[in-house]
Formats: sequence, C-alpha cells, structure tokens
Amino acid sequence: MIVFAAAVIIMTLFAGVFAPNDPYKTSATVIRTAPCADYPFGTDNLGRCVFSRVLYGGRTTIAATFFLVFVSFAIGTVIGMVCGYYGGIADRIFMRIADITLGFPQMVVAIAVAGILGAGMKGAMIALGITMWISFARLARSHTYSIKNEAYVKTVLFTGKSDFYIIMVHIFPNLMGPVLTNALTQIGTTMIGLSGLSFLGLGIIPPTAEWGSMISEARAYIQIAPWSVFYPAAATIITIIIFNYLGDVVMDYREAG
Amino acid sequence: MKEKTILNVKDLSAAYEDAEVLSSVNLSLKKGEMLCIVGESGSGKSTLLRTVCGDAQIKVKNGCVIYGDRDITKLKSCERQKVLGTKIGYIQQNPWGAFNPLRPYSIQFRETLKSHKKKYDAEKIAELFSILGLKDPESILKSRPYEMSGGMNQRIAIAASFILGPELLLCDEITSALDVTTASAVTDELLKLKKETEVTIVMVTHNIGIAANIADRIAIMYKGQIVECGERDKIINAPEHEYTKRLLADVPQLEY
Amino acid sequence: MEHLLEGKKINKTFVTKGKETTALSDVSFYLDEGEILGIVGESGSGKSTLLNVVSGLIKADSGELFYGEENYIGKGPAHTGKFLRMIFQDAKSSFDPRMTMEKSLLESRRGKQDRGELSELIKAVGLEEKLLSRKVSDMSGGQCQRMSIARALYSEVGILLCDEITSAVDVSSQKQVVELLKKLNESRKLSCIFVSHDIALVSMLCGRIMIMKDGRCVEEGETAAVISDPKNEYTKLLIESAKKQSF
Repeated sequence: MIVFAAAVIIMTLFAGVFAPNDPYKTSATVIRTAPCADYPFGTDNLGRCVFSRVLYGGRTTIAATFFLVFVSFAIGTVIGMVCGYYGGIADRIFMRIADITLGFPQMVVAIAVAGILGAGMKGAMIALGITMWISFARLARSHTYSIKNEAYVKTVLFTGKSDFYIIMVHIFPNLMGPVLTNALTQIGTTMIGLSGLSFLGLGIIPPTAEWGSMISEARAYIQIAPWSVFYPAAATIITIIIFNYLGDVVMDYREAG
Repeated sequence: MKEKTILNVKDLSAAYEDAEVLSSVNLSLKKGEMLCIVGESGSGKSTLLRTVCGDAQIKVKNGCVIYGDRDITKLKSCERQKVLGTKIGYIQQNPWGAFNPLRPYSIQFRETLKSHKKKYDAEKIAELFSILGLKDPESILKSRPYEMSGGMNQRIAIAASFILGPELLLCDEITSALDVTTASAVTDELLKLKKETEVTIVMVTHNIGIAANIADRIAIMYKGQIVECGERDKIINAPEHEYTKRLLADVPQLEY
Repeated sequence: MEHLLEGKKINKTFVTKGKETTALSDVSFYLDEGEILGIVGESGSGKSTLLNVVSGLIKADSGELFYGEENYIGKGPAHTGKFLRMIFQDAKSSFDPRMTMEKSLLESRRGKQDRGELSELIKAVGLEEKLLSRKVSDMSGGQCQRMSIARALYSEVGILLCDEITSAVDVSSQKQVVELLKKLNESRKLSCIFVSHDIALVSMLCGRIMIMKDGRCVEEGETAAVISDPKNEYTKLLIESAKKQSF
C-alpha cells in the first residue's frame, strides 16, 4: 500500500514529467478523441488531453488534501491537548462545539459554508476544515486526558517542570501514533469532500484541472465521450481506496504493536 | 475409606496460540482432598485449571486428563457439558464474573438449574447460604450482583457451584480480589462446606500462606511445570526444590 | 519534638454524579526523620487518598499539612516535589514508554544534572548500569520498581511516599524492594510512608504502623505493640486473618 500511495503521489507531484500533453491546451482538431497513443485517456470537449488533466488534477486534489489534513491536524491537536490537559470551562465549551458539529453530516456543513464563501479552492478547504479539525481535537483530547493520569506524568509533576514541557516532551510524542493514524484515514474522506465540492461547482474554478470538476464538465457528453468521465472518476476512486487502505494497514500495524 | 483417584493429569503439555504454557504436567487427585496449586503469575497454574475445564483457546499438545475413566481433553463440547456440567464446578477470581450483573440471583439460579435439568430447591439454597454466612437468603436472592460487594458475590458464586452437587471444584484465585479479612472468612466458609459435602477441591493461588493453612497437599508450579508436589507439612517444613525454598523465604511473614 | 512531616485533621470527600463518598475524615498522622511509617487498610479505606493528599496530587477539603514548620496544604506537586517524591503501584506506567531510563532519571532532578552519579545510584538499588539505556518495555516490573526508587533518590529528596509499590510484582521482587527500602533507610536516613494492604509485609519493614478503615485511622502505634496487642476490633480481625496466612 505504501508503494501504491508513493506511486500516486510521485505521479501527480511530477505531473509535468509524466504528462504527454499540456493539460490546458485546447485543440479544435482532436475534440473528444477516443484513447489512442497520443492521448492515452482520450480528449475532452475542448480537445484537452484527459490523461494530462488527470495527472495535473491529481496534483491539485492531493496537494489540497494534504495541506488541509495537515492544518487540521496541527490546529486540532494543539487545541485538543490544551483542552485535555487543563480541562475546565474552555474544555467544556469545546466539547459542546464538537457535539454540535457532530450533529450535522460533514458534507452538509461543507456545502453550506462553501455556499456562503463562494466558489474557489480556499472556500472549499475552509468549508471542509471547519469540521475536520474537530475529529483531531477530540482524539487528541481523549488521549491527553488518559496520558495525563498515567503515573509517569504524575511523577514528572513533582520535578516542577512547566506544563509546556510536560505537554511537549511527554504527552505529544505519546499521542502522535493514534492521531497520525487518524490523519491517514482522513485523507480519503477529504479527497471525496474536495472532489465532491468541485463537482457541485463549489470548489475549484475551471479551467484548473481537478477530478471533481472534470467529471462534472464531462458529464454533459458522457454518451459521446465516456472516457472523459471514466478516467477522472477511476482516478478518484483508486486514490481514495489506496489511502483508506494505507490508514487501515497502519492501524493494524499499530495494534499488533 | 479407600482412597480413590478422581482426576488424573498425565504428561500434559498445552499451549495458547504460540506460547507453550504447560510442559509435561503430572498430577493425580484423590477423592475428598484439598489440593492447592501455588505459583506466581505466568507459572501456568490457571492454564492448568482451564485445560481441565476445556478452554477452547488452549491447545492440548500432548498427554491427557482422565476424569472417571475418560480423557476429557478429547471430548466434544456437548459431551463435555454432560460430564463437566454438574460434576466439575469452576469458580473464578473475578467475583462478578460468574453472574450477569443486572439480573436478580434467583433468576440466574433458576436458569442454571434448569439448563442442568435440576429442580430449584429454595431450602437447599438457604442451607448453603447459611453455611456460607449469608443471612436472609430471600432478600439476597432478590437482589442483583452489581449491588453486592466482592466478598458477598464470591460467596454466592460458591453457593451457585455447590447447588449442582459437584464432585470436583476448581477454584482459580478465588480470594485474590478480596480484602484479607474477607478472604480469610471466605476460605473458612469454603472449608466448612467442603466438610459437609466431601467435595474434592483444587485451589489455585499465588499465596503460599493460604495454601499452608488449608491444603491437604500442595503442588508448586514454576514456568509451566510442577516442580514439587506433596503433603502440606513436607512442602512447608522440608521443601526440596530450590524454587520452593525461595518462595517460602520471600513470602512476608507477620512479625511480632 | 518537631516532626518531619505532619498532617492534622485531614478531610476529603469525593463527589461523583451527585453522590458523596467520604474518603478521609479527620485523619492525622506524623512522620519523623529516618522513620518508615506503614499505613495498612483494605481497598476503599482511604490509604491511597491520604498519600495523594500528602503528596499534593489531590487537594484536601480541610486540614493542615506541615513539612517542618511550613504549612503546605493546598500546594501542588510542583512545590511538594522539593522535599518528597511519590512511587506508584504500577511501576511500568511510571516511566514514559518513549524515554530511556537514563533520561527519565535525569529529568527528575531540579537544577544541575550529573550523569556520573547515576551509575553509582543504579548499583545502590541493585541494578546493572546497562539498564539505563533501556526503555520500560524491555524491563520487568521488579526492575522498574527499583528504578523508580533510584529516580526518587536521584531527585535528592528525603521523603518517599510508596503507594502499594510491591502489589504488582512477584514475591521475590517484593522482598528485594522491601530489603532495598530498609537498606536505604539505614544508609541514607531516608524517611518513608509505606502504604500497603499486606500487614505482614508492613510488619517486616515499618517501625510504626497506622491502620485505616473507612476513611479513618482506627489504630496507630509501634508495629510490634499493635500486632501483639491490638486494641481495635478491626485491627484484631485483620491480624487474625493475616495469621491464617502465615506458617
């Protein structure tokens, strides 16, 4: 799984090297060509190479996903650790917010927020991030709480070390494992979210290549050029499966010790 | 009375999935005696009991356990239930482990008896309860396990296994989860019951002090083997094996 | 005479889900320098709560706590850590699973850290120096418990609070830990409060003993005197039961 994931990341990261054609170059002569040697995945309504667009689109999707997961991870973990460690009123307020957000399906909140913020990658990412950081915060909070009550943290309390020291040296490294596993499993969900928002026209603004928006555009002429829907859709599904599996593998590995 | 062997463990080796826990254990049990198996955690003493009970997780590698005239390690689970159900009783360490915590004892007693096709005999239960020092059996039977203390529950668990009239009772660390004072009361009551019913008891414990006070014979287990087995006085006063000597020397003794 | 550590009329009630449980009611105690005080009681007697209050991990509802002349009630472990250290029942979880023993030990001292002293200390608690580079997952419970004693010694405090520290280890390690405490008590004038449910163990180690039951101290005195001539009914029962386990 790690190999597959690495392959996907490298393929999209170096899209410029692997892509046979310019993903944005339109050509009136090759509109909706079936897959052939020049255009491995065929071309779309404007004669753009679908294979190149899938690679470049992957770069957009994966880069945005990683960035979003990383930012949510950072914000969520810090807030979760602070809440779990200190408890008190801030913790209670946080838990209420978390409970309220959990009441809505993530996608519904995202669509609403993205609708308010308007189309664009920034809007889509904020819309998804608003619910995602909470899952990290909840996880970090519960682990912080249990680590805080471990004898080794109690022992360190007697040395008069600062709270910051205890959180950074003892709590953070010990909750990294479960939180990172969560980050891996979140990658798949986030990709679905981003592609979904783009598909609905709430994410990326065309002509920037992105899987969701590619599917959305090509949907109109699916009967004439099915490949221009099929390949971005297949790319989305395969990538999501790979990253979800990766999360499972890591989780199993951690459980096995 | 002629001494009759009730249980015979011959050259028994058993393992969990990967780790061998018992290696060539030999043990025979005479009718009506009280045998204590003493060992530290990981010595295999509980595994030995569970093998006799037929725990599905334990794979018997070699040897056999003869009860009556049958090798009970080779029984199918339905046959095992017939043989073991009423004849061999098992009491575990966790006092709440034997019961559903939310249902009244009386219902659970009834169900157990019904599944073994026996009649619910309130008088017999009351008699057992009185020997075990449980006052007011009526109200106890109406209450639920989660309302009871560990000591009370363990007594009721003992009563529950005696109600089936077992020949052999296997006790796995039954006093370890209890406070010292409760533990000694429970063991005293168990001994009283034993006298009344002439049941054979195998008691597994990590506390050689308990064994020294209640056992007829003591078996010392270490790393999956029985290193020494014999009459109580001999084990306590003249141990032969190095491990037994160390164990006896290291157990704290009340100094006064 | 001034006591090293003294507690006066300590009260503590826990409230969980609206239910009040009295863990300590009017408990007083003292510890003199170079003394090992044993506290015996069954589960729920409040002995661990008392230790947690003395260490500052739990705040008492009322009462006074003195270290010498200083009343430190209400102060947390960051303050009490200057003169006492606590050792916990579960030795394995008292070490950060990601840290080596050496790091854990060094961390425990305030101020200047000196690696040189460590090797000497390790030998003093009967362990080998090579264990210092290990992590907790590669050590036995008994080794960990001796290591946590070494850690407390390295922090240069004079008082150890031991909470059931031998309950989770096998009898041989238990004996080694007790002998070690005895030795340290003699050689380093270490003062110690030793909490245990095992009165036999306490009788071997402690000069003075305190019996707790339901959040109260029911009897207190010289160990030999209490055991040979108990006054309280519960103490009598406890000793009677313990005698049934000796040989």
